[in-house]
Amino acid sequence: MTVQANMAGASPVARRFGAVLPLLKGVAALAAVLLAVELIVILFGIRPYVLPRPSAVIEAILRTPAAYRDAIIRTGLETLMGFGAGALFGIWIGIAFSRLRFLRETVFPIFIVSQTIPVIAFGALVVMWFGNTILAKAVIVFYLTFFPVTVNALLGMRAVDEKQVQLLRSFGASEREIMRKLRFPTALPHIFVALRIASALGLAGAVVGEWFGDTTGLGVLLLQGMYAENMVAIWASILCSAVLGVAFFSAIGLAEKRIVFWGGEST
Amino acid sequence: MSDDPMAPSQQALARGIFGGLALFAIWELVARLFELPSYILPAVSEILARLWTARVALGEAAAYTLGESVAGYLLGGAVGIGLALAITLVPPLRKIIVPAATAVNSVPVVAFSPLILLWFGMGVSSKIVMVAVAVSFTMFVSALAGFDRVDERSVNLMRSFGASRAAILWKLRLPTALPLILSGMRLSTVRSLIVAIVTEMLGAYGGLGWVIYQAVIVIDFVQVWAAIFVASIASLGFFGIVALLERKLVFWR
Amino acid sequence: MKRRSFLSTLGLAASVAMFGAPAVQAADLETVSLRLKWLPQAQFVGFYMAKAKGYYEEEGLDLTINPGGPNLLTENLVATNADTFGLSGGTDSVFAAIEKGLPITCIGIAHQETPFVFVSKADGPVQEIGDFQDASITTWFTGANYVLFGMLAANGLDRSTMNIQPQQVSVTPFVDGQVDVVTATRYNEFYTLMQRVGEDNLKRFVPEDYGVSFPRDTLIVGNDFAAAHPDLVQGFVRASVKGWLDAFADKEAAIDLILKEAPTLERPHQEFMLDEIEKIMLAGAAGEEGLFTIDMDAVSSAHQILVDYEVLGGPIDLDSAFDSQFVDAIPSAERLPE
Repeated sequence: MTVQANMAGASPVARRFGAVLPLLKGVAALAAVLLAVELIVILFGIRPYVLPRPSAVIEAILRTPAAYRDAIIRTGLETLMGFGAGALFGIWIGIAFSRLRFLRETVFPIFIVSQTIPVIAFGALVVMWFGNTILAKAVIVFYLTFFPVTVNALLGMRAVDEKQVQLLRSFGASEREIMRKLRFPTALPHIFVALRIASALGLAGAVVGEWFGDTTGLGVLLLQGMYAENMVAIWASILCSAVLGVAFFSAIGLAEKRIVFWGGEST
Repeated sequence: MSDDPMAPSQQALARGIFGGLALFAIWELVARLFELPSYILPAVSEILARLWTARVALGEAAAYTLGESVAGYLLGGAVGIGLALAITLVPPLRKIIVPAATAVNSVPVVAFSPLILLWFGMGVSSKIVMVAVAVSFTMFVSALAGFDRVDERSVNLMRSFGASRAAILWKLRLPTALPLILSGMRLSTVRSLIVAIVTEMLGAYGGLGWVIYQAVIVIDFVQVWAAIFVASIASLGFFGIVALLERKLVFWR
Repeated sequence: MKRRSFLSTLGLAASVAMFGAPAVQAADLETVSLRLKWLPQAQFVGFYMAKAKGYYEEEGLDLTINPGGPNLLTENLVATNADTFGLSGGTDSVFAAIEKGLPITCIGIAHQETPFVFVSKADGPVQEIGDFQDASITTWFTGANYVLFGMLAANGLDRSTMNIQPQQVSVTPFVDGQVDVVTATRYNEFYTLMQRVGEDNLKRFVPEDYGVSFPRDTLIVGNDFAAAHPDLVQGFVRASVKGWLDAFADKEAAIDLILKEAPTLERPHQEFMLDEIEKIMLAGAAGEEGLFTIDMDAVSSAHQILVDYEVLGGPIDLDSAFDSQFVDAIPSAERLPE
């Protein structure tokens, strides 16, 4: 955890800069990759329906920017809603599992089995139960995100050193205080690992959720591109998904740096 | 690893089975009490009966899907672990590989499905590639974390005794990384099956996803559920085998 | 609790409240929805037109148009009251739904003739239907395969000795020459083929020319709703017909409308699609009787194919599955372009 140590010692300005720098680097790297692909496509004369030129893809996005912007917002919102609920539920149930053995041993296997079910098979059920609202998509995102968080919250809770717990208890700390001061901070790094995994899964869930009859979203654009065999449109949607995915991933990374650092200090 | 909630004891197993049975009982009761038609929720008993009557077709489909999943899983594992190994051996690669892998992973795998279907066709190869894409990142991250765990002082010590890079890798890095690599492999099992099924539903010649797709078209929802049951059983089986392997291999630790 | 009340509490409660109420008061609009078989495109523009022009409101309907998607069965959603109306797959999916006991009825047929064709290359090995025998063929195993089987059987070809494979989402294998015959909807894949190969280099095999017809894009409604609100069903059909006629009369506006719904679609493709859809919707019996005509002869012949190939366990009661009273109540003159 050398990164955290560095962050702890850094001045606020440097810390803020530290957050922006990777973003700039990322943008520069993306631009370099796109340029390289552009050159390869032109040099090797790759046919557009195998791999279109990145400039054509960007041009397509710029031709109807509102459509892509709305799609990113919509898919992002779905992911955020479901992810937020999934993360909270996952942490909560993970803690509950760590306390209540019977609950864990009875329900956890069902959770595991639930994760073996491909949601896409139940498009109609999702619509019947949750309608055509953004809620239906958020539910799918929730379904995909809560599990990794649950697992890691549970693992994190168990990573707590019982000797420390006893020590705190001997100082008269209540269970609530022990949770807040020791258990939860100890579990946080584990939870954040799960949140990173869950953010990518959640985005996938939102995209698939939009295949169940929706009007806006990256999943919709993707489907439309796929069935019209419009490679440029497909790539435009992938590019937008990448932007959204990287944004989520970085946001969680940023939150991790701040919160885990803070959590580490309070122990 | 004995603390692992995914490696249940005898009692936990019994309770797990109890939980499953309770869920089935509630499901059966709800379906029968409300006389739910099968296009909303078929009764568990109906699904189990179908599992039996359609066992040959479902078994063949499961074998087809499992074949794709395992092939993609191994390919993805080789790529993921290989990349992690490359970084370990040639540290400057880290700055290129890690951001690139993170960027690719942040795109939902399903977003690649149209492309991969167009590039690799409707046969098994598109499914294998999709699974490989889906699992390689998890394997990569786990393996990298594993290799990174190696104490550099031990590496220096071995080096001072004149051990080669290969020897350090084989005797020190790999054993240290193994538990994390294996847990990444275990986590990837379930995902590999789901991705194979989802890809099959978009276009295939066979497999559980194809069975589900066909069943929806002829409005046979009992068949959909039966296929889902089979998919779950197959996933759990795959998961179980890898978990078993993991325990055997990590045991000596 | 009984099943029906569990399923349709909301729908029935609304129905009771609305029963007998005059349908034209804006404040008393009945909230209903139409589930399409796919995402917004020119294939469905008439419904968007009717909505944009307020035709549904005039009939007392506050209508939401819900797009479809892969693995989403319109019949299923209408049967469970998740949606009120549906533009479903076609006669084939209606047959399957009726056979499985889903409480839905077909109240109109949009595509009067088979909306897809089989395509070979003009300079390729397949010049006539007899050449299918030794060709590599791909088709959708979601209904189109039975049309192909029917065509082959009607022309004395034995499909069991032929090379027929499921078709993927892409026409690239055909373009690249790996496949001799490909299946294409007249409004979508055929357009892609024209772009990639050129129309002059393509040869079309139209099912109707070989004695097979498969009407598709069926308008369906839930039986409970139709029984409780025949007037609203009537209003829905009337408004939809008006919307479609408007779309055909002003295609420019229609395409504008669909591009507003789905801005990333390509205009030339959508224009081509609308032209083809117009031909398909006004083909056959509809040419005389008007849009959404249920041509029972065409329905029976499609039904017979599926019975012959044992896709259906046995014949279904076509008269109760297809109810043309709502369409017939609108004079033909009002269902035809001027």
